[in-house]
Parts: sequence; structure tokens; C-alpha cells
Amino acid sequence: MLIFRSEDTVKQWCAARGLPVRPMINLEQLWQLAVTWYGNRLTVDSRRPAPDEMVGIFARLGLEGLFWDPKADEWQSANR
Amino acid sequence: MDIDTSVKLNIYETIARTTQAPTTHQVAQALSAPLADVQAAFERLHQKRLLVPEPGDPARIRMAPPFSGTPTSFRVIVRDRAYYANCAWDAWGIPAALHEDAVIETVDAHTGEAMTFEIKNGQPVPQPCVFHFAVPAARWWEDIVYT
Repeated sequence: MLIFRSEDTVKQWCAARGLPVRPMINLEQLWQLAVTWYGNRLTVDSRRPAPDEMVGIFARLGLEGLFWDPKADEWQSANR
Repeated sequence: MDIDTSVKLNIYETIARTTQAPTTHQVAQALSAPLADVQAAFERLHQKRLLVPEPGDPARIRMAPPFSGTPTSFRVIVRDRAYYANCAWDAWGIPAALHEDAVIETVDAHTGEAMTFEIKNGQPVPQPCVFHFAVPAARWWEDIVYT
């Protein structure tokens, strides 16, 4: 996942590589992801969120749909 | 505490303290544990997606997310220490994991323009930027280094 100054530079980056423009998030959403994902990483109980937990984390930030579903086998066929 | 938890904590505490990812040999020495046990724990932690070994050298760590075992274009300064992150998400993940304020030095992925960010009083200081996910969640670990 990469950072850009603006949506324009995202579009230029994608066009230069022949890639589709995909979802973008803002700084506040990124910070919430970082805190949720890594806030307890240095503790005994730390672990990576399970797939269903990931879906919930993304949904709370308004990130919904197959793109954000780690179990979405359908994602490939839905976008061919 | 089981061996996987001990190894995980030693890895993360070592990186937090020194900025450098330990090898299997260093972890075994620090824990006074058999090297084979630590090697097996590294493999299990990889399966749990808590670390990624260096390609071709499983004794070394390429990623212990959010930390990178190798320099990247995401440099994170906390107090007098400089860490490297694997991606933009992980760059903000380092101050989140350490519960510290930080300065993040990176570049616009397209233009190469230098960009500097701050986490101050536990919050990101706003400035124009956007984060782009090129890979859907279902494929993140197909090639996690690219992701």
C-alpha cells in the first residue's frame, strides 16, 4: 500500500503501469487501521486479526465490499 | 509462556529497542533455547503472518509487521531511533505499536516528492495525502512484499 500527495498522482501512477485505480483511504482512516492492527503488537496476546475480524474492522471505517473481504474468492471472477 | 510467544516477544522487543530484527541465532541465545526450537517457532509465526523470513535465508527476518528488517522508503523516527516500515499502513503502525509520537519520512509513490508526517500527542497531524490499495485483501499475502 502506497502513499501519494493527491488522487491525481494516484491516477498518474496507475496509468503509467496500466493498472486500474483501486480504493483509496485518507489519513484518519489509515491511522485508525494502524492503531487497530498494531496497537497491541508488542504484547503477549498480540496476533493478526482473523479474516472475519478484518471485515468488521474495515466496515467500521466505511470500507465494505469484496475488495476488503480477505475470504473473497469471488473477487477475481467478479473483476475479470 | 509457550515458545512461540517467547520468540514473538523477543523479536518485537529487540526491534523496538535496537531497530534491528534479530536472527534465529540471536533469539535462541537471548532465550537460552535450542536453535531448532526457535527455527520452528519462526516458521509457525510466519504461518500466523506475524513475520516474513528473508527470501532464501530463513534465519533472518524480512518483515515483522509493522517493522521491516531491511531499509525501505518508509522511515519512521521515534525519539532518537530510526525504524523502517513495510508500507504506508505499517509506517503509521510503528508509532501505534510503540505508543509513541513519531516523524515519518517517505515519498509520493509516483512523483518521488519527499513527504514528512508527524504523529503528535498520539494523533496524526493532518496534511494533504491519500493512500491507495492496489491489491485486494484476499490477495495481500500472495506477494506480501509487493503488497
